[in-house]
Amino acid sequence: MDPQLTSLIVPAEEAAQIEECLSHLVEDTGGNYALLLDKSGQVIVSQGDGIRQDITALGALIAGTFASSREVAKLLREKDFRMLFQQGVRENIFIALIEEQWILCVIFNKGTHIGLVKVLTKKATDELAAVLERVRQQHKSRDEVLGSSFRTSMEDTIDLLFKD
Amino acid sequence: MALINVAAREIHCKIVYYGPGMCGKTTNLQYIHESVSPDVKGDLLSIATETERTLFFDFLPLDLGKVRGFQTRFHLYTVPGQVLYERTRVAVLNGSDGVVFVADSQKDKLEENIKSLKELAMNVTRQNKKFQEFPIVLQYNKRDMPNALPVAVMDRYLNGMNWTRHEAIATTGVGVFDTLKSISRLVISKL
Repeated sequence: MDPQLTSLIVPAEEAAQIEECLSHLVEDTGGNYALLLDKSGQVIVSQGDGIRQDITALGALIAGTFASSREVAKLLREKDFRMLFQQGVRENIFIALIEEQWILCVIFNKGTHIGLVKVLTKKATDELAAVLERVRQQHKSRDEVLGSSFRTSMEDTIDLLFKD
Repeated sequence: MALINVAAREIHCKIVYYGPGMCGKTTNLQYIHESVSPDVKGDLLSIATETERTLFFDFLPLDLGKVRGFQTRFHLYTVPGQVLYERTRVAVLNGSDGVVFVADSQKDKLEENIKSLKELAMNVTRQNKKFQEFPIVLQYNKRDMPNALPVAVMDRYLNGMNWTRHEAIATTGVGVFDTLKSISRLVISKL
């Protein structure tokens, strides 16, 4: 099968490492929130103050912003923009790309200096790139992770929920 | 590619509705949003122009609940159909697991459908994916229009790959859930 179509499986151990990395990043920068997204906009891990209800929409929009900026980069004959910064009155978002696959974002307020966020995010992206590499190298089959009867159960659920 | 988070026991899949301008992609999502149970759907997010044409994308998260212990989520997107927004379509298509190609059945839209499908093939290939293996479901929308082409004619020009296809009238919901079921099953079979 086309390798681009196989799922990216994040094992428990790697997910724990990502959580730790993000929680250090929030703590050390004094930021409010850190998110790791897949380029498709799906949230892999989030860390920070409280639970954000809007996190799914936030993921989709940030990934959209990044994908759109990549197209802008191409028009400027750049491969992509590795980092993006969005400045608000109260909160700011700093976004960095990890190996064309993942997107790391830090949400912080004016109490945190952008320079510090930049430096520590760079350090975190290096760590996360190593985690991503390990995730990619593990070739677990779907059945190993989900169980062989998953597909049938999923089809039953789809039939049950997707109706007028 | 779909994302399986073993620690959080979550599965995420991204499905994109693609097709020429005004073919009914947003209407599909609106109908799904109106009709599915409130426990399943999230908010429908639309980035549209003042005239309600899609500018960037529409986004509808669906949470199917736990299946065999895994929280399963489908994220539905539409692309802006207008020719002008090709680069935006590339951006939205990024990382998708499957595509619903919505074709407008009206006679005078056939050429736009063909062009849009060609563009989709090119954009999928550019993302280093094999178009022949990529999960696609066809929807022939606006079957209620008096100038709708016969299905056999549309098949000849659009369905050379023999994809599953559904006839639809998205405004009233005909065929909308059949299409969603087909693409969901196809995406799950490729996990």
